[in-house]
Amino acid sequence: MRKAGAIFLLALVVVSVATLPWSLQWYNVQELDTAIRHPPSLAPAVAMARFRQTSEPSSVSSKLAYAATSWFGHDDLGRSVFYRLMPGFLLSLLVGLSAALMAVGIGVTWGAVAGLAGGRVDMALMRIVDVLYGLPYILMVILLKFAITRPLTAWFGGHTRIADLVVLLLAIGGVSWLTMARVIRGQVLSLKSQAFVDAARAAGARPTRILLRHLLPNLVGPTIVYATLAVPQAILQESFLSFLGLGVQAPTPSLGRLAADGVYAINTFVGYWWLIAFPCGTLVLTLLALNLIGDWLRDRFDPKTPYPSPVVGRGK
Amino acid sequence: MITRLLRRLITGAATIACVYTLTFVMVVSIPGNPFQTGERNMPPEAEQALRARYHMDNNWLYFWEFLLGAIRLDFGPTFTYNEWTCNQVIAASLPVSVIVGSLAIATALLLGIPLGVLSAIRKGKLTDHLGLILVVLCISIPTFVTGSLLLILFGVYLELAPIGGWGTLSHLPLPVITLSLPFVAYIARLTRMGMLDTLGSEFLRTAYAKGLPQRMVIWKHAFKPAFLPVLSYLGPATAQAVTGSFVVEKLFGIPGIGQHFVNAALNRDPGLMMSTVLVFATLLVAFNIVVDLLYSWVDPRIIEAV
Amino acid sequence: MFGRIVAGCLAVVAIELCVVGLRGRSDRADFTYVNPSGIHTLDPARMSWTQDFRVALNIWEGLTTWHPQTTEPIAGAALFPPEISADRLTYRFVLREDARWSNGDRVTSEDFIRGWRRGMEPGTAADYTFLFTDHIAGADAYVRWRRECVSALTTGGDIEAVFDGCAGEMEKRFARVGVRAEDDRTLVVSLTRPCPYFLDLTAFPSFLPCHPSVELLRERHRGTPINAQGLVVYDPQWTKPDYHRSGYPGLTTNGPYCLEEWTFKRRARLTANPHFRDVAKIACKTVDMLEYENVSASLLAYESGRVDLLTDLSVPYDHEIARLARSGERPDFHSCVLLATYFLNFNCTSPTVAGRDNPFVDARVRRAFTLALDRDQIVDKVRRRGDRAAKSFVPPRSIPAYEPPEGLAQNAAEARRLLVEAGFSNGRELPTVELLYVPNDERMCQAMARMWEEALGVRVELRSQESKTFAEEKARQRFMIARGNWYADYNDPTTFLNCLVTDNGNNDSGYTNPRYDELLASANNAEDSAARAALLRRAEAIVVEEDCPILPILHYTETVAIQPYVSGLHANPRLWFPFRHVSVQR
Repeated sequence: MRKAGAIFLLALVVVSVATLPWSLQWYNVQELDTAIRHPPSLAPAVAMARFRQTSEPSSVSSKLAYAATSWFGHDDLGRSVFYRLMPGFLLSLLVGLSAALMAVGIGVTWGAVAGLAGGRVDMALMRIVDVLYGLPYILMVILLKFAITRPLTAWFGGHTRIADLVVLLLAIGGVSWLTMARVIRGQVLSLKSQAFVDAARAAGARPTRILLRHLLPNLVGPTIVYATLAVPQAILQESFLSFLGLGVQAPTPSLGRLAADGVYAINTFVGYWWLIAFPCGTLVLTLLALNLIGDWLRDRFDPKTPYPSPVVGRGK
Repeated sequence: MITRLLRRLITGAATIACVYTLTFVMVVSIPGNPFQTGERNMPPEAEQALRARYHMDNNWLYFWEFLLGAIRLDFGPTFTYNEWTCNQVIAASLPVSVIVGSLAIATALLLGIPLGVLSAIRKGKLTDHLGLILVVLCISIPTFVTGSLLLILFGVYLELAPIGGWGTLSHLPLPVITLSLPFVAYIARLTRMGMLDTLGSEFLRTAYAKGLPQRMVIWKHAFKPAFLPVLSYLGPATAQAVTGSFVVEKLFGIPGIGQHFVNAALNRDPGLMMSTVLVFATLLVAFNIVVDLLYSWVDPRIIEAV
Repeated sequence: MFGRIVAGCLAVVAIELCVVGLRGRSDRADFTYVNPSGIHTLDPARMSWTQDFRVALNIWEGLTTWHPQTTEPIAGAALFPPEISADRLTYRFVLREDARWSNGDRVTSEDFIRGWRRGMEPGTAADYTFLFTDHIAGADAYVRWRRECVSALTTGGDIEAVFDGCAGEMEKRFARVGVRAEDDRTLVVSLTRPCPYFLDLTAFPSFLPCHPSVELLRERHRGTPINAQGLVVYDPQWTKPDYHRSGYPGLTTNGPYCLEEWTFKRRARLTANPHFRDVAKIACKTVDMLEYENVSASLLAYESGRVDLLTDLSVPYDHEIARLARSGERPDFHSCVLLATYFLNFNCTSPTVAGRDNPFVDARVRRAFTLALDRDQIVDKVRRRGDRAAKSFVPPRSIPAYEPPEGLAQNAAEARRLLVEAGFSNGRELPTVELLYVPNDERMCQAMARMWEEALGVRVELRSQESKTFAEEKARQRFMIARGNWYADYNDPTTFLNCLVTDNGNNDSGYTNPRYDELLASANNAEDSAARAALLRRAEAIVVEEDCPILPILHYTETVAIQPYVSGLHANPRLWFPFRHVSVQR
């Protein structure tokens, strides 16, 4: 089952990357006459001539790519959901993974140092976490966007899309580590008072050695749980920001944005189910796969988990 | 113990003061006219005059005035809602959010913990996988999707619940369930992780060796230390739940305080912004102190938490 | 341990269920309608949203009101029609004998002067002060003097002397404004120029009367009628029915209804004003205004019969609603053609925007972009709400005796030729163009950007900003193309055309053309309505066919839902629903 998760995710990533040359050109090709809100079909609902304007006309790969146009249907502006989902998936994955990375990198270090050092250092570090947690998020995002978008755009040579993406990554990753720090600190406090740490200290080990050799391996569990939970949280936060007008700039697709655009399909009047089913389905399956991979990682690296299952059948 | 508590209270007050100062700095540096409610452009003299009237043209003065007012629990006017004061807005919306939020956390605990423990016990089997799928569904489907689906299913087709609004018992279940789902996911995963850690421990073998039945071993002995990561998570989670969720409030039409956080920022309303931030910071500090106190109670070896 | 957690949780649940369950239920009103965005303000001088107008005009009554179906001005608190002088500059209103406030007091002409003055005072920060300064003689001078007083007080110097000077002079200065109470029941208004739509204006909320009890809540500095900053300011809570500070009796109004109860973000309840002259004919004695933030939820409530009128049906699947309304499948959905236009502003003045060259200072580029856009596709395929594609600023067939010019029809070849003429041999040579908008316009702007990219080969970058940042950028002219809309304030083309006059407060594009300004000025002094209409038409032709500082996209259409058992309400361009005419047979 775990292997199924990893294989699925890998397959999705491979397909997305493979279709990138076309999806980067075709994600915004609108067809207001024939393909608007077109349900999924095997035959493309958009004439090849439309795409001819944007990429090389005829090669075998292009013809193959063209065949997939209507598999997931078309959205409100006649754009292919398939060719918006693929780059959107990659973008969301990028956002989620960078948030998780920032959470792990900053959060674990922060929490471990706080827990291990104790006393005033612990108090100061945790109060900083409290203050950052208490600050109003939307206000910070607006201020961040206002303050650094124009300088960043200039720095990136006029590419506003990249600057917007960097601002978004900062905005989401910047708060993703707070809960991780708090949890890790709690774990370290609990571990610190256990026998093996005292034993190490008695044996004369230096604090860094204690940290690396003894504590870190025991932190693998909560780290992985939070990292795998941080990814969907980041993606959903991105969709919330897009909903308020603060996220990725249109027409760039992302899973959260596609879901937010398609949510009106859930009503009693009209039934454009493909607008919400495919983005949400991809989101669910991706996160399922990530969780399974996380589980596997934990089983491999967490010293506390013996193979096989710990509850031996006694006294049922 | 008392001295430690006092120290935490003092540092808590310092934290709130820090949050207030930083928020104030952000509020005055962000551009935007808080007085303009419609789409028409306001003449600059009108804006200047209003700023003078509310003492907003002098930042230092405004800082101290608002702080002194806040200590007296008088948060001043809000420009988003012309006829109401911040006090009235918060008094009307905070209780609603507290009710929905605390019910959501209670539900999340009652659902998430058994789910996590069960997944841990039956690790690798079907129950565990189903549990994982459930957890992923809870956290990966956006709240506005789950909420809309529940609203359509229970409100329209089955007609079991009213369609949004607030005031009676029947308005509670749908928003509470929608709000609790992400928390259920976190709590379940954290419990599972904690249980797996503890289930392999030495002291459990002693318990088994003593001949205790499995149920007692799990729930009485293994659970307590396994609960710690959940406890750490509960502090900020409760503060977050209790101050409402913008999406849930918008979807179900609940007059809670979550929307005011977002609207205050979007409208550049300084009074509402700072009063909601102060409320949130106070709740956060309070819940964190409670959680840290509970740390020592759950695991007596942790005396440093406080 | 877990047992204790369970016990704790269940205890919390039980307590809260009790708290919620023990609250009383309120009975249903005779008539219920929904206001999704809530009341922004009930202060008639400060309001600018249609939803607020709706409540205000039901609880207050101006000198005139609007007809429920045609929205023509009809009799209000004053006898109709008033006496108009031969030069059409003086109006003499005589108030009705039986015009009463909700506490029984007689409505006097002083009450109207008090209300109108609030609209002129800078302390009110009203959006519609220009309605007074443009039309009433002496109002402009008074408002300017007051603004000078206020800025003198905030810039330092001898504050005390300036303050005393302002406070002392105020009444003398106001006496020069052209509104005068001849006696308790007679109001004489002098205008700056003949105004064919003045009776339409007197029905507008800015011109509503104000009860004398409001004076109890005036901020006074050292006993003068102004506060320390020199502003005339009242406690903003004067519009609440249950506010009793300083002996204030609560909100007193003179319309068919009075405000009985107003809870924050929940509900406002109106009850029939017992002292209103036709109170016996009011069928619905209680009216509830509910706030449903989620429009889809309000529609579902309407479908289940809990709500009788829905004025806002902007659900995400609104095209389906519009289709049902048009096809007649749902006779309770009514399409109202509004006097409102959605358009794009071109930045006509700044040579560079954020470091990039702004090509729109050249009128040929503006015309090219206008010609390249297919507005029918946007209205029919993208928005699908039944709006009318717009080629002119003023909506056609809506203002009697005024037909706007034809405007520019789509012509992509001509557009490309114009670009060449302007010095860009193809679209790629143009600098990247930015389109600034708010999240609501997402779909339309994406479609428009794509249309320009395909027709002209130009690169268009989309910039979506939340509304306050958007307003800031627009005001500072940091845009190349920005979305805009305009809802008519009164039934005359000048409400639209004045926006493009040089230095007008709402002229976002920075357009300036002395010929245009001249035409509008001479229209103001025209002899008869036909000549006036011709001048206005010529002015509009300059704007929509030659210079194109704005690109009109569509004229709005709203769909409203009125339950079939409700009678007395009609679809109209102002979305004006007087509840005194409503009767409900469930």
